Amino acid sequence: MKELTCIVCPNGCTLHVEESNGRYRVTGNLCKRGEEFAVAELTNPVRTVCSTVATAFPKVPVIPVRVSREIPMERIFDVMEKINKIVVSERVEKGTVLIEDVLGLGANIIVTSSILSEQE
Amino acid sequence: MKRPYDVTVIGGGPAGLAAALKADEAGARVLLIEREARMGGVLKQCIHDGFGLIRYGERLTGPEYVERFTESLRQRNITCLVQTFVTAVDKRKEGFLLTVVNVNGVAAYRTKTIVLATGCRERTARQVAIHGTRPAGIFTAGTAQHLVNLSGQMPTKRCVILGSGDIGLIMARRLTLEGAEVAGVYEAKAEPSGLTRNIAQCLKDYDIPLHLSHTVTRAFGERRLDAVEVARVDGAMRPVPGTEKRISCDALILSVGLIPENEIAESLGVPMDQGTRGPVCNSDFMTGVPGVFSCGNALHVSDLVDYVSESGELAGAAAAGYQQEAVRKRDVPVRPDDSLQYIVPQKINVHDGIETVLYFRSRHTVRDGTFAIEADGKELFEKHYRNLRPPEMERIELDFSSFGLKEDARITARIRQKEGIR
Amino acid sequence: MYGDNLEKKLNRKLNKHYGPTVRARIDEDAIRVSGTLSRWTDIVAACSMCVQKGTPMHVVNDIVLDGVTMPQMRMPSWSDEELEGRRPDVLVIGGGISGASIARELAKWKLDILLVEKEADLAVQASGRNDGEVHPGVDLNKGTLKQHYVLAGNKMFDKICRELDVPFHRCGQYVGFTRWWMYPAVLAYVWHRKYICKVTDTVILGRKELRRKEAELNPDICFAMYNPSAGCVCPYGLTIAYGENAVENGAQISLNTAVLGMETKEGRIECVQTNRGRIYPSIVINAAGTFAEDIAAMAGDRFYSIHPRKGTNSILDKKAGHIVKGIASVKTLKQNPAHTKGGGILHTVHGNLLVGPDAEETYEKENFATRQESIDAVFAKQKMTAGRLGKKDIITYFTGVRPATYEEDFIIEKGRRTKNLIHCAGIQSPGLTTAPAVALDIERMALEELRKIKAVEQKDTFDPNRRGGPVLKDMSKEERDRMIRKNPDYGIIVCRCEEISKGEILDALKSPLTVPTVDGIKKRLRPGMGRCQGGFCMPLVMDIIGEYMQLRPEEVTKAGDGSAITYGRTKGAVQRRRYDEETI
Repeated sequence: MKELTCIVCPNGCTLHVEESNGRYRVTGNLCKRGEEFAVAELTNPVRTVCSTVATAFPKVPVIPVRVSREIPMERIFDVMEKINKIVVSERVEKGTVLIEDVLGLGANIIVTSSILSEQE
Repeated sequence: MKRPYDVTVIGGGPAGLAAALKADEAGARVLLIEREARMGGVLKQCIHDGFGLIRYGERLTGPEYVERFTESLRQRNITCLVQTFVTAVDKRKEGFLLTVVNVNGVAAYRTKTIVLATGCRERTARQVAIHGTRPAGIFTAGTAQHLVNLSGQMPTKRCVILGSGDIGLIMARRLTLEGAEVAGVYEAKAEPSGLTRNIAQCLKDYDIPLHLSHTVTRAFGERRLDAVEVARVDGAMRPVPGTEKRISCDALILSVGLIPENEIAESLGVPMDQGTRGPVCNSDFMTGVPGVFSCGNALHVSDLVDYVSESGELAGAAAAGYQQEAVRKRDVPVRPDDSLQYIVPQKINVHDGIETVLYFRSRHTVRDGTFAIEADGKELFEKHYRNLRPPEMERIELDFSSFGLKEDARITARIRQKEGIR
Repeated sequence: MYGDNLEKKLNRKLNKHYGPTVRARIDEDAIRVSGTLSRWTDIVAACSMCVQKGTPMHVVNDIVLDGVTMPQMRMPSWSDEELEGRRPDVLVIGGGISGASIARELAKWKLDILLVEKEADLAVQASGRNDGEVHPGVDLNKGTLKQHYVLAGNKMFDKICRELDVPFHRCGQYVGFTRWWMYPAVLAYVWHRKYICKVTDTVILGRKELRRKEAELNPDICFAMYNPSAGCVCPYGLTIAYGENAVENGAQISLNTAVLGMETKEGRIECVQTNRGRIYPSIVINAAGTFAEDIAAMAGDRFYSIHPRKGTNSILDKKAGHIVKGIASVKTLKQNPAHTKGGGILHTVHGNLLVGPDAEETYEKENFATRQESIDAVFAKQKMTAGRLGKKDIITYFTGVRPATYEEDFIIEKGRRTKNLIHCAGIQSPGLTTAPAVALDIERMALEELRKIKAVEQKDTFDPNRRGGPVLKDMSKEERDRMIRKNPDYGIIVCRCEEISKGEILDALKSPLTVPTVDGIKKRLRPGMGRCQGGFCMPLVMDIIGEYMQLRPEEVTKAGDGSAITYGRTKGAVQRRRYDEETI
């Protein structure tokens, strides 16, 4: 049996997962999403990555970005490496895709603030 | 002078934005004042996700959450002043006179009501009694977050984090992602101060050690920090001699608590609650000074931004409906016992049929506890919780008018534990 | 012979306490004590027992502290040739209150004046780390230099602070007594101070009158000695103002400049080596604080020693400011150790309370570390002055190191062996009070020496008045509005706790003595001194400094060389540092 802390919502439920014959039995969860999380944690744990990218604008040296959907946990630093290489030189707005399908993981790197497009 | 505003909201963070929008929706003439150049408050630098889960059912980042509000703001007729600082608030016969300073000069605004949404500030190194030298490299977690996420600068290559508050945990992960090493998170209490899921996703995911019942006792270094001394603490939080250990690092990042900012409230003589360090409020989130409302982290430090905005909306709507002339019925205080850190609002409207939103925090970690409200020894309400933890705020809604309480009722709140379990 | 007898007497005493290895030797003008001891407090005690008050002989400590390597003086890690070949008339070493005030007084004359300071700002050490009291001098005995200068200095403060545009309050000092039977003794003491020592404002206040002036002092205090002439000033504010006025009048101040050595020839200093080049001054003024002895040694004129003594003060939130309105302490039956002030409570010009300091002998001249024990001890004592004092109101604390001589008096005189040198040494409390008067005397001595070489004329352009930058928050609404319309930067509030604008920070950067560090700005304007201790404004102050000085963020420092705040851009640009194994 494995004990996990659910990170899906602020409840932070303590989950217990039992595996038998490739099937998982989850207890301790308050909702369905907790069960999904627990199974994913044991098979293919995924996480979101939020970071910043450099810009060419001195007054706004960085802008925030995130992945559009969760990526495998063990690829976080690979994705960070890609994020770190970006330099934004246009006044992009929230939602702008900076990298499509990063590393073939099915997630885009998207801008999460309109700070650049608000300023003229 | 121009016609007075109905509602002036001071602070354009998640509480103030919500308050201004709601007051406008209710038909009030609204003025929103923000001291920084952009709306959003501290959420501008909170680039991690997890905001708005309750409100929007999504895990938004801080800037995305704020922009949901600022987008609506643009479609409304709300007067917004940014980079504007309130230097004085004076009580007038009808409402208040605000003096503000911005690039255009000094200006005065009349307003019938004020919603204080001034947020909170961080406790500092000196306030937790760290001795030794005072070199560069000692930051609060919020300052480190500003440097990394807004200035795009690395404040450390290897740091120690004192305190397990949520911003500290978030920064542990953030700095790790940017290539710094977090030597460890030290927490003087026997339990973490931050949310359980942040312990999991910010520390465990990145193998960052968490040392409970440990504190930083000394700082070393002439110009820049080069080490800190940590020690185990006893039950009374005193360092245990002989357990000291010196850890090399170039930064000490502090996440040791947040304090509501209430300088304006204090200047107006608003009575304060020792438990929340914010104003004492009634069901409308109105303070002891009629016409002055409080919400968000200035009222009490919340764990989730969704509740910050909710209290903003409640305060904004109430301010819009406020009438100076109306004869107010007396509110009845709710007295929390020792099992609770606090309960907000501290005074309840027991007359009108409205749902009162109550927030509370348990003083201790309780398994299988029951939150109960009683009046004159008679139980009015109870709710069972599997887990109650001091870092996690709880929220309930209750219509007190249905209980037929009188103004002299003695309302108390407490957490009951199952026999034998503590 | 007197010297032989004295030497024998001293050695008998030393032998009795420390055995035969610790010896005193009478030199022509000094008592040199040598040997090896393992505790610093023993060294201080051994040297102190050799003191001969009332003679021109000072105690010089040559006792080795066994097993301890004396810490190196901290100084900039870099060097350049900025000052190479400079030939000033006067070189002032040390940018504390002494050096800065001397430079300003000398700026009245047509002279080339250069002040060097090893730190990135003025008043970084003792002058910036004291309580800012302007002493009445009631605790000092007649016949000392301290007493002579404290009376003269105190009287000068109204004028000097007006000229230099520095806030100064004559808030009065109260020394309370809790036992009526002490009254006759105190009365005699007060009479003596008033008529013999000429501290003419000294009076005794009864309980009622004391209560009227200071309502929240301990009710046990039945009477108090009161000196209305006592006051308070911001000590680093005054030092910086002196420095700026010196620069406005043509003096040069070179910060980040450490004296590394000297070349002397035939009893004169020929050349002073610094990390910024060699300087060839006509005369040198030694105002180097705890390092004055080291400078004296470099110049071949070491006839005194400094034994550093540290003290810690706590700063309390303005909310506690009501507890004491002036300066208060209480005298208890337990006598304080000879040379401590015992501390007190002082209401600063900014409205905070300062509590302390204590006193502790140390061989580390630059150990400014604070300890909880000293704060606890000071609070325990000062709670007897005012019971409502609480540690919960502490917003910060600091340690300073006093440069005491063994005689516990100042050394203000021309060099004994080295002719073109003037010492301004051993300036501990009440050195802030005495500075204006001492500076005038040093000015006179310097002119005497210089006139041996050249004619010195008065400068008719000297302007004694310094204009500090505008303080917007203290202005009327109309005036503030007018200022902002002229310069919108005055309307951008950067520090929310102390209400300081971007315009005021830029003013400080444009002042005669630019110190483009976060601490430099903090000392001049107070951003970072409020409740949040810089949590909100520090990154903003960094941005303003960087923008104005054309520095990258990682080049902006807290307090000069080696105190960078950040390591450069994120995004993997910064390499992780390698660390050794954790040590216990």
